Amino acid sequence: MNKINFYLLEYAYAYIKRNKNKNIFIVTVFTLLVALLSSVFFITTTVEHEMKERISYKPDIVVQAYKAGMQSSVDSALLDKLLEINGISSGHLRVEGTYDFRAKNRLFYLYGVAPFEDQEDPFIEQILQNEALNSSQMLVSDSVKESMHQAYYDKYFNFIKPDGSLQKVFIKKSFPVHKRIELQNLILLDQDTLRKIFGYSENEGSDIALSVANKNELDFITSKIRLMLPNAKVVSKNDLNVMYEKLFDYDSGVFLSLFVIAIFTFFIIIYDKANGLSSEEKREIGILKAIGWRVEDVLHAKFYEAAIISFFSFFTGLLIAFIYVFIFKAPLLGEIFMHNTLLDIHTFNLDFYLELSYTLLIFLLSVPVYIAATLIPSWRVATLDADEVMR
Amino acid sequence: MSYFKIIVLLFVTVFSLYAYPHYSDTLKEKKIYPLGQKIYQQKCSQINVLQYKNFQQLQQAIDQQEGCKNLQKRYKEALALYLWEKKRANTPQKQYPPLRVSKHEKCPICGMFLYKYPRWVSMIEYENGTKLYFDGLKDLFKYYFEHSKGIKELLAQEYYTQKTISARDAYFVIGSDVYGPMGNELIAFKDKQSAQNFLLDHRGKKIVRFSDITKEMVYKLDE
Repeated sequence: MNKINFYLLEYAYAYIKRNKNKNIFIVTVFTLLVALLSSVFFITTTVEHEMKERISYKPDIVVQAYKAGMQSSVDSALLDKLLEINGISSGHLRVEGTYDFRAKNRLFYLYGVAPFEDQEDPFIEQILQNEALNSSQMLVSDSVKESMHQAYYDKYFNFIKPDGSLQKVFIKKSFPVHKRIELQNLILLDQDTLRKIFGYSENEGSDIALSVANKNELDFITSKIRLMLPNAKVVSKNDLNVMYEKLFDYDSGVFLSLFVIAIFTFFIIIYDKANGLSSEEKREIGILKAIGWRVEDVLHAKFYEAAIISFFSFFTGLLIAFIYVFIFKAPLLGEIFMHNTLLDIHTFNLDFYLELSYTLLIFLLSVPVYIAATLIPSWRVATLDADEVMR
Repeated sequence: MSYFKIIVLLFVTVFSLYAYPHYSDTLKEKKIYPLGQKIYQQKCSQINVLQYKNFQQLQQAIDQQEGCKNLQKRYKEALALYLWEKKRANTPQKQYPPLRVSKHEKCPICGMFLYKYPRWVSMIEYENGTKLYFDGLKDLFKYYFEHSKGIKELLAQEYYTQKTISARDAYFVIGSDVYGPMGNELIAFKDKQSAQNFLLDHRGKKIVRFSDITKEMVYKLDE
């Protein structure tokens, strides 16, 4: 089979056209199956990929103080104590938190920037490189600016402090968040100003971010800090990865059951097809043999027929999944992954990201199976004598 | 009695005003010097620390300097400490570039690809310019004992900071529960204190210097 036989190809095409109704049904089922499965895998792999990317921007270890089971502020003296641990290369006291802008029913994410401090997030670092902030200025994201504008705050914004007084901060500039959709509520402002807004005293912060140079040592240092501070919550990057992986494994489990059901449906259809040819099909093969076709030629034509149908359906299905996930951003099906309550950031870009292994899996489970299911019964009939078949 | 009180009070106030800030060395290395260096580079690089006789003079100069006059107290302190202890001392420490390997580099002893374990890469540089990379100090020493002539530099990575250090001045911990790509390893540290801490944390057996290491000791690690 080193050359495509175009006569046989034409015959196969004509055969598909002759049995229009049956083939349209098969193509529809096949396409929908591939579309469903590949959109599921597109969503899972893309969301997981995006999540991993977000985690990579987070600090290696975050230490939060807890009081009465609630997160409370930490003192800067704790940072000095933690920095004494070998293996921690640097650390800083962070002042960050959410601010409820009730007029527009929106949560702002306020992040305090200390002068002369490195940011672990390259995006924030880049914004701050171009803009120097003084104590009465802030940088806001475009969408924050928009909702401030809706409340007629164009030049400045009044934050309400815990004691009820106002803290006026001027909007210096707004920045687009582009791909970093999880930062769409971000406001960057001076750390001391933010302390005033949150009602912290001078040495307080919301948590401590530590970086560890040798990532092999990360788990050990985390457990060391846990022993040192029994009341604090210590979260390392590895813990975050495990947590999100568990979450996605659960979701993937739901999908897996869907996958199994879909595959079984497909196999039942295939089984039905493989179980026997209709008498009309049998007679056709018999006639072909009677006019001098060899077994080889019959199989050849049947192979072309199955290949045309399965490849066409596979690629159409893939295309539908692609458009559904990456262009329409997976309405309905994607909702399964948007854990509003579990993840602090639950919107995803669904930018194009493909893991070829899953596509290959779907391909191998559908196309060769279908081709085999077409060839085997035809071969069984084709090996019989022509008169026996037509009788 | 009241005179004595006044004198004591005066002494205390004067002392606290001009007290030299005390922090531990690790805190200075990890927090204060980097901060001070950044402030120095960004705000007041015009200060020449060598022209001041004592720490108080430097502090006064910082208070008067245009760029850093308005800084907060803790930033001024960090700047002063950095200038006084780092910049003035100006100890020329030999800096080694980080050890990077290409995807094709293999360890001459075990033949493993090195790019998979970047944290364990170590290097021997010969005087004729040949650079050999190893996946761990054990393999480096195995090679070193066979070909120890004409060596220019023996480089290893510090376990905690991942900085490149010379193996000749390093402290090595053996018998710990941290394994390299080739199993038991010698783990390098730049000072005795961190080696000691590592030994306690990771159940190490012994701290050795470069000159103490023998061929038998290295081969015994494989057992």
